[in-house]
Amino acid sequence: MAKGRVSIVVERCKACGFCVEFCPTHVLALSSAFNSKGYHPPHVVHPEKCSGCDLCGMYCPDFAICATKVTPTGGGDK
Amino acid sequence: MKADLQRADAQKADHKPALQKADPRGVLTGVHFMDGDHACCEGALAAGSRFAAGYPITPSTEIVERFASRAPTVGGTFIQMEDELAASITLQGAVWGGAKAFTVTSGPGFSLMMEHIGYAAMTETPCVFVDVQRGGPSTGLPTLPAQADMMQARWGSHGDYEIIALCPNSPQECFDLTIKAFNLAEEFRVPVMFMMDEVVGHMTEKVVIPPADQIEVVPRRHTHKPVADYLPYGTNGDLVPEMAHAGDGYKFHVTGLTHDERGYPNMTPQVQNKLVRRLQDKILNAVDRITLVEEEQLDGADVVVVSYGITSRVAQRAIEVARQQGLRVGKLRLITAWPFPEKKIRELATHVKAFVVPELNLGQMVREVERAVAGQAKTFAVSHAGGGVHNPVDILKVIVEAAR
Repeated sequence: MAKGRVSIVVERCKACGFCVEFCPTHVLALSSAFNSKGYHPPHVVHPEKCSGCDLCGMYCPDFAICATKVTPTGGGDK
Repeated sequence: MKADLQRADAQKADHKPALQKADPRGVLTGVHFMDGDHACCEGALAAGSRFAAGYPITPSTEIVERFASRAPTVGGTFIQMEDELAASITLQGAVWGGAKAFTVTSGPGFSLMMEHIGYAAMTETPCVFVDVQRGGPSTGLPTLPAQADMMQARWGSHGDYEIIALCPNSPQECFDLTIKAFNLAEEFRVPVMFMMDEVVGHMTEKVVIPPADQIEVVPRRHTHKPVADYLPYGTNGDLVPEMAHAGDGYKFHVTGLTHDERGYPNMTPQVQNKLVRRLQDKILNAVDRITLVEEEQLDGADVVVVSYGITSRVAQRAIEVARQQGLRVGKLRLITAWPFPEKKIRELATHVKAFVVPELNLGQMVREVERAVAGQAKTFAVSHAGGGVHNPVDILKVIVEAAR
């Protein structure tokens, strides 16, 4: 079971790709979908690999993504 | 001839980084007649610095003025930033990108850079801040000397941290010690304060720049570990972590927040304790190796004059006249002001009558001397508010008084 869960605010994204590039476990990829600004936000392609480290959240220039640790009961630890 | 520069104690051979020879492209070998600012620039180039960011300010301007014209010829870059905050953080970006980088400023700009000096200490970013000191506070005396930033260099940013500060007293030393400053920054991954003063910066003297193969530089401590095994703030026994080479696939977060060995923010008392103590210990455990002082006739001295920077050259006159009068006066010149060579002072304090500390401020390093002396001898300040140098007679008077 995944240790973390990614949350994405697609409308804030400008598709810089930092989160995709820097995710240590390669959870993310840019999607083919558009947001209303015409960018391709990331989507989760390997949810089971997420460790919840939130490196994506620390890198994101636009606060458009964050990862949270998942507790054994399935909830985030926020 | 001056006494040889000597280390306060025998060099410890622990974890010395491998030395390299200087890149000959940046070394202007020859005998020159140049001022301290220009010599500092040549020192930076010889040390391998290829990046400077600055918001030039009198009396430091000539350093980057020269760097801006020299850098393109050696594949380097100078950026004039919009202010000192931008300059002091831009150079750190350059360092993480792989460059050896520095900025130059004077008191007012140094004040603005304090936040990023703390950031460099916390993130262990090896860089050099050159402060050509002028009279303060505030904009003070733009074109006239002082040595009143000495405590700011040590304590100006918030939190507990250690830095290294060097004090040249001639254009030749501006060259030699700038190389030393870059080497110490790389060896300890610490911001190094290069504490010049207006007189040293603007005085023109003979400067000998040796051939590149006689200049030793400390290369960046790049890791050789595979990406999977690399811990950005993990250490290998000497308290100084290795840096990753940008672009080689090492991905981590450089943050001023309290961080664990992986570089992730971890704001707990345990991680804080471990990190901040290591930041201190990596310098304080190596203080004997870092310390550079110039000593003269300390054996049998009744009075020891402790000075640094331009004041050490003014004090020399007072010392010589006092000796002609039959007084036994020793000289201790601080080349590293921080970490303070308190062990040296403490040892001397057991067998001298008094210390005399002339400096171009109203009493900064004299307090460190007093602290190290701890009442075992008298300590006399010879203060000067800045704007010029001491009259040697004023120092002589205090030496005579101290010898009584």
